[in-house]
Amino acid sequence: MTLLHTTTSNTTAQVAASVRDAVKHYGHDDTQVTALDHVDIDFEAGAFTAIMGPSGSGKSTLMHAMAGLDRLTSGSIVVGDVDVTSASEHELTRLRRDHLGFVFQAFNLVPTLTAIENITLPMDLAGRSPDRSWIDHVVATVGLSHRLRHRPSELSGGQQQRVAVARALAGRPSVIFADEPTGNLDSTTGSEILDFMRHAVRELGQTIVMVTHDPLAASYTNRVVFLADGRITGQLDQPTPDTVLDQMRRLGN
Amino acid sequence: MFRLTWKNLMASKIRFALTTFGVVLAVSFVVSAFVLGDGLRRSFTDVSKDITAGIDFEVRNTADFVKPPPLPPDVVDIVAGVPAVRHAVASIEAADNAVRPITATGDEIPTSGPPQLAFNWIDDPALSAFTIVDGAPPQAGEFTIDLDSAEKYDFVIGHTYDVMVPSGRVQLTLSGTSSFGPQNATLGAVLMQMNTAQASELFGVDGIDSVAVALHDGSDPAEAQAAIAAAVTASVPTAEVVDRETVAADFASQFTTQIDLVGAILLAFGVVALVVSVFLIHNTFAIVVGQRSRELALLRTVGADPRQIRRSVLGEALAVGIIASATGIVGGIGVAKGIDALFGVMGFDLVDWPLILAPRTIVAAVVLGIGVTLTAAIGPARRAATVSPMVLLSGTTSSSGRHVSRRRALTGAAFIATGAALAAGGAAVNGAFPVGVGAILLFAGVTMLSPMAVGPVTRVLGWPLGRVATVTGRMAQRNAARNPRRSASTSAALMIGLAVVAIAMIAAESVKASIGSTLADSAKAEYYLSDELDEVAFPAEVVGETLGLAGVDAATGFTPLEVRIDDTVTEVIGFDFDQIDALLDVDVRAGAFDSDVSSPVVVSAGEAARRGLVVGDTVTITSPAGITMATTVAGTFGDQSVLTEDYLVDTRVLQALGAPVAPEWLAISVADDARPVDVQHLLDTLESRFPYAALETAAQFEERVAGEIDDALTMVNMMVALAVAIALIGIANTLALSVFERTHELGLVRAVGMSRRQVRRMVRYEAGLLGSFGATVGVGLGIGIGIAAVHTFPSDVATQVAVPWDRLGLLIVIATTAAVVSAWFAARRAGRLDVLDAIAH
Repeated sequence: MTLLHTTTSNTTAQVAASVRDAVKHYGHDDTQVTALDHVDIDFEAGAFTAIMGPSGSGKSTLMHAMAGLDRLTSGSIVVGDVDVTSASEHELTRLRRDHLGFVFQAFNLVPTLTAIENITLPMDLAGRSPDRSWIDHVVATVGLSHRLRHRPSELSGGQQQRVAVARALAGRPSVIFADEPTGNLDSTTGSEILDFMRHAVRELGQTIVMVTHDPLAASYTNRVVFLADGRITGQLDQPTPDTVLDQMRRLGN
Repeated sequence: MFRLTWKNLMASKIRFALTTFGVVLAVSFVVSAFVLGDGLRRSFTDVSKDITAGIDFEVRNTADFVKPPPLPPDVVDIVAGVPAVRHAVASIEAADNAVRPITATGDEIPTSGPPQLAFNWIDDPALSAFTIVDGAPPQAGEFTIDLDSAEKYDFVIGHTYDVMVPSGRVQLTLSGTSSFGPQNATLGAVLMQMNTAQASELFGVDGIDSVAVALHDGSDPAEAQAAIAAAVTASVPTAEVVDRETVAADFASQFTTQIDLVGAILLAFGVVALVVSVFLIHNTFAIVVGQRSRELALLRTVGADPRQIRRSVLGEALAVGIIASATGIVGGIGVAKGIDALFGVMGFDLVDWPLILAPRTIVAAVVLGIGVTLTAAIGPARRAATVSPMVLLSGTTSSSGRHVSRRRALTGAAFIATGAALAAGGAAVNGAFPVGVGAILLFAGVTMLSPMAVGPVTRVLGWPLGRVATVTGRMAQRNAARNPRRSASTSAALMIGLAVVAIAMIAAESVKASIGSTLADSAKAEYYLSDELDEVAFPAEVVGETLGLAGVDAATGFTPLEVRIDDTVTEVIGFDFDQIDALLDVDVRAGAFDSDVSSPVVVSAGEAARRGLVVGDTVTITSPAGITMATTVAGTFGDQSVLTEDYLVDTRVLQALGAPVAPEWLAISVADDARPVDVQHLLDTLESRFPYAALETAAQFEERVAGEIDDALTMVNMMVALAVAIALIGIANTLALSVFERTHELGLVRAVGMSRRQVRRMVRYEAGLLGSFGATVGVGLGIGIGIAAVHTFPSDVATQVAVPWDRLGLLIVIATTAAVVSAWFAARRAGRLDVLDAIAH
């Protein structure tokens, strides 16, 4: 555990999310499965972090628990200044709306809303007026300015994911959670999205936590955290596809 | 495939129950109409046979008038003189409610319920429908009453009671109780008997109604009938002799027409439920097929051919139909029993009736239940069969039902254009038929085109919503417009229901407004005296007595009489021509109410134009008494709203025609300088003389008629409530299925920050939009058709169109609110979705 703390690339960086002794069991007795087994980890602000691991390693559970979509069996998670583990349903809704961003693998957008309406949806739900210049900036960066009035069904898969990323960025959240955001895209479109996410972290100062099983995708990040059987098994700073593959092989995946 | 069909059904029991609900109701109403009708008809046929068992023939007047005129009393002696006749007795029956007993507590028996009837007592048990149960038959100064009424209203044998008769109030002693047939099958009516002399004196019948005849044993009926007929027609040419079967059938038909009316109302309820159910079933199947498109595609990839898929869906519909029919038959028996009980509560105690489940009833239930369900499911079944196996691979769900085909749009537009033209044209020429056809075309056209209107109309209706609740309102509107055909057919049921109620409301409001303005225009008299019980007439002297009172300026009674004019039977009304100018303004166009003309008649302008009559022409009138006389046209009049008859005659003409002067109502004008004390005396005098009559001012009269119109609307409102209830189930059903369909999307919006409350609101807003769409289009359509319909009303019913905007608006608000409430379950379910599960969906 101490290893993780001492080896972070910037020890003075602020922590965007911290997970302490997180345990998650599914089912009961004989059929009980341990998805998270005493996990401790911090995600620093302003960084692009990947969580990697084979199916069933607990990577999605960890992300869902941080996002307040799933409850831990024990342990605590603090995102920004909100204790996710003790928050009420109402507080979690507000946390997601005001402090978190989401990018899912597919079907990220509400089909009845236009691209721009999807982007401003969280703010509209909160009843806040969006920061126009920031939105314009995000939209311009994503390269969607001319498609804003289109419905999702009129956009390509890559464009849809870009809208999803723009929505995640629009509210300047404390953390953006991305769940296999390029899993449904061809490699060229996928790298566009990853480029853009890296850009959002470097130039716009955002924090992104991404779950993936693709070493190439992981190589776009600042740091890779490896999970297996609900435990953190290693981490890698400034990863490249080769070092990620290397580490995965070493961890016996 | 059948197993799959069955499993699909059982997998969604609630949806299944909701879907069948409408059909079950429809079948129940139809079955109850038949069961009740068959049972009661059997009972009444038996009753009729019982009470006519001892009669061989009946002699009566056949004149082709609705109310046959009475026979002269001496017909009894003429009939009795025929050798084959063992016994001939007169029967006299008072008009409905003309004779009414007052209870010991001084109360009148309510006349809103079953009628109060009085008959002369017939001593011959073979010829009498009545038998004495307790006490003795009525002698002079006495009466008997049926045993159920005696018990119900506490009439005790030996006690003396006040009895209202047409000429006023008399005191009679109860001598006994009687039974009408073995069962005392009164249906809650009060049946009184008095001896024949007293009946002739008190019932207000000028003569006798008929003669009941019993023959000597062994005489030949045919010969006897011919002999009686020959003897009677020599004296009364219009009389006829009818046999027992005819008498029994005529008697039974008095009841069966009532039964048929109840049956017709029940059938109407059934039809309403049926029409609305078609939309409900169609919608449910369409949505379910849409949801199952992946599963259907899977079936197709593993080798199911389109026909098997179609059969599977139709099989599901068949199962729904069979269960709905069976439930409906049981439900129908329940409804029939319930209606029996309801009649009992209202005072109409029905006779015991056998439960007859005729084959015709079962066939109707099965054909309706299964037929409707299958018909409604044909479209969705066909669509299911065309699901491509590619759906499974591409992951795209069928997008059918999103657009209106060009052909459908053109047909719909043509229907609307033709319908509107017919309705407008019909309204212009007072043609009810073109307006009716136009209304049906409009309904069909609007139903076809409404998918195109869902988007724009919900945008307009949702505009205020967008102000209050920006995102949720906007998303609700988009969701409502997302599948226009589904939304349109979901709200179609509501649309039809509210259109019907809007038409009824506009018709009623127009009639009320017309009465109001008519009375304001033409009623010059201050007071109107009428008996609440329509068929009761006032004695002739009352007019003279009223005129004799201080302060009275003018007064006359109005006596209707059925006559024949140029081979047409029509009703004329008689009153004092020299009084009318001070009482009523009927818009005299030519001539005047000139009582100096010999036998004057004033003809409506319309009738005069039709027959080419001008002042001075002769009109020949034949009365029921058989008197024919030539009358002279003294004038023409234009306003038929108060006096609806085409021919108005002077009281003296009435008398010359041999008709009794028996006014149904009186108009009384008070002198401008009358002293208040005299007016009060006038009112007191009339009130004490006719305690149960209504003495009203024009305004009070208008109010009472308005109230009666509102009562008549109750049945329409109940029918609409039924349609709206089924329509709301449709909205609840559609939203529940839509919520299910959008599970992933709901998970997504929850993940990005929509609160549970916002999710619930979004669903409720969508329901509200669907409801207000149906309600607005329906009320709009109803206003158009209603206005056209009022134009076709005869001028004595409505002369102007009045639209109750405020209440129509309220109707939309109520329907919208009800739609929101109906979505309660769907909204709750949507709000409770687990975010992770939903996203993974």
